[in-house]
Amino acid sequence: MNLTAAVARLSLQPGVTSEAFAYNGHVPGPTLDVREGDHVIIHFRNNLPEPTTVHWHGIHLPFESDGSPFHPIKHGESHTYEFTVRPGTAGTYWYHPHPDRRTGFAIGKGLFGAIVVHAAHDPLPSSLADKLLILSDNRFLNDGTIDFPDSASERGGIDEENGREGPALFVNGQHMPTISIRSGEVQRWRVINASAGRIFRIALAGRTMLQVGTDGGLIEKPVEVKEVLLTTGERAELLVRGGARGTRTVLQNLPYDRYSPNTRPADWNVTRDLLSLETTSAPPAAPVTIPSRLRTIVALDTAEATAVRTVVFGQGIINGKTMDMSRVDVSTHVGATEIWDIVNIVGMDHPFHLHGFQFQVLDRDGVREPYLAWKDMLNIPKHSTARIIVRYDDYPGKWMFHCHILDHEDHGMMGVLEVLK
Amino acid sequence: MTRRSTGLLVCLSSIVVLLFATAYRVPAASGKAGPPSDRGSQDQILAGRRLVLSSACGDCHGYAGNNPAGAGFLVGMKDTTQQFRIGPFITRPKNLTPDVATGIGSFTERQIFNALRYGLRPEETPDVQITSTVPGQGGFPLHPHYLAPPMPWPSWRNMSDEELLAIAAYLKNGLKPVRNKVADSEGPPDFWASEYTVAKIGPYPAAPFPTANEKAP
Repeated sequence: MNLTAAVARLSLQPGVTSEAFAYNGHVPGPTLDVREGDHVIIHFRNNLPEPTTVHWHGIHLPFESDGSPFHPIKHGESHTYEFTVRPGTAGTYWYHPHPDRRTGFAIGKGLFGAIVVHAAHDPLPSSLADKLLILSDNRFLNDGTIDFPDSASERGGIDEENGREGPALFVNGQHMPTISIRSGEVQRWRVINASAGRIFRIALAGRTMLQVGTDGGLIEKPVEVKEVLLTTGERAELLVRGGARGTRTVLQNLPYDRYSPNTRPADWNVTRDLLSLETTSAPPAAPVTIPSRLRTIVALDTAEATAVRTVVFGQGIINGKTMDMSRVDVSTHVGATEIWDIVNIVGMDHPFHLHGFQFQVLDRDGVREPYLAWKDMLNIPKHSTARIIVRYDDYPGKWMFHCHILDHEDHGMMGVLEVLK
Repeated sequence: MTRRSTGLLVCLSSIVVLLFATAYRVPAASGKAGPPSDRGSQDQILAGRRLVLSSACGDCHGYAGNNPAGAGFLVGMKDTTQQFRIGPFITRPKNLTPDVATGIGSFTERQIFNALRYGLRPEETPDVQITSTVPGQGGFPLHPHYLAPPMPWPSWRNMSDEELLAIAAYLKNGLKPVRNKVADSEGPPDFWASEYTVAKIGPYPAAPFPTANEKAP
């Protein structure tokens, strides 16, 4: 695939154009659709006026292809990203820039796209329509300019504090699109939160959904859910069923208080509509059977853990420090299994992201995780703790771990995990 | 309206500060801050203990007053009778015991020092040496997050480096950790920056003796 990041003037909202950054001229960028085992080669060109990278969020790949701040691509330069999609990693991922201190800005300007990894043998019926829902938000000035206030201003300070958000919500770059479904039909929705700061809490008004997957692919058994909290960068696979013929429902974003009491936005508790789901008047679809068991996930063994890493999230700092790319915060070896004890000591949620390796959640605030799942994102709510377990398989390198509120990451809420051979 | 009520509250908090300021008197030691250490000596811890007791930290941060043998000493607020209303905002005394998740256990002594000297919330301020009080300069944050009133750090900051480090050493190493989660204080979006300007709380260090209000002996 050829991928170019460049400045583009696009109509992101009706009736007005905005100067955006775009992959191949579109927001979101093209979907990278691959299968387990594929060898992926992306010829990337940076036509932006600033350095960038492409980070393949959640993909287990060599350090040199991770697109972290260690490997910036300057204006006008090209780079070939190359990796093999590992077996067992089928799932929904995404890509976005990850340059030093500018990630939130670059994503806010429009640089993000989806990655779908198909399984060699998918347990879900192939008849299910596969729909991608890339959630994002933004904020514009009246003339269409994407609103980035000066960081020294009061509004800039609040953006830095909260993580920049906007009232305009998008699904696949569109405001309030419509998905059609037949009565009785089941669709497979792959939902990605590509927002720089907004945590989505989504629900299908009046319906339940079946959650079948998380960041790293399918879970073991479907779980019926009324709503899903999707922190920044997080993904979920959901099975959605059509309603009565000719009816309509709405996918909504429900209020979620992730904020510090000092800077909580006045409109935080507003419910907003994301998408219209319309059940057609066509005759009901033939029933499909959803397998009760999707796959087996082997639990990483806490008895094999050789270290416990304590990661304390303050506001904008991790273990009292801001990011220093010349510093190694955690040093370990390929193949080691470790537990991370993540503690959020402040009154604002901080979503944890680890590059390169999928992890499993052991417990949150001491409560054992109800089911096994592969994760690369974990929301750590205000004043709470979580323990995860991870094995550093295959790839040595310097991997980032950070808060995925991108303004926090850009202001230094990030550390370096060095995995030695 | 918010600004006016905040001003009123800060007036109230100034009274608290004055009361507290008269409650303690410590000899002014001189000297520079040594390198932050995670384990204070016995003498340093005992000096810190004396300062914590004489500075009345326990009046707000717990429910044993200043009796180190009492239950609830320095564990922070347990019920709403211990919280403050500062204008439109509720502020809450935090847990000062060295519990990692709910107290000061994850902070370095330097972060505690910076809280007492500069009023900067340790959970929201990097662990760096600060050499300026101008935002954005000398390690002082561009958008400082100050401790919520009525924490009387504008008085406490006048203690010597050794005294403040002794307090940090005592809190970190001389107390047993107690898990007690205290919700965050509320406050204005600037985290009280407009209330802690030099115009309102004076410079640090204080003007040399004697000022116009003072006379040499």
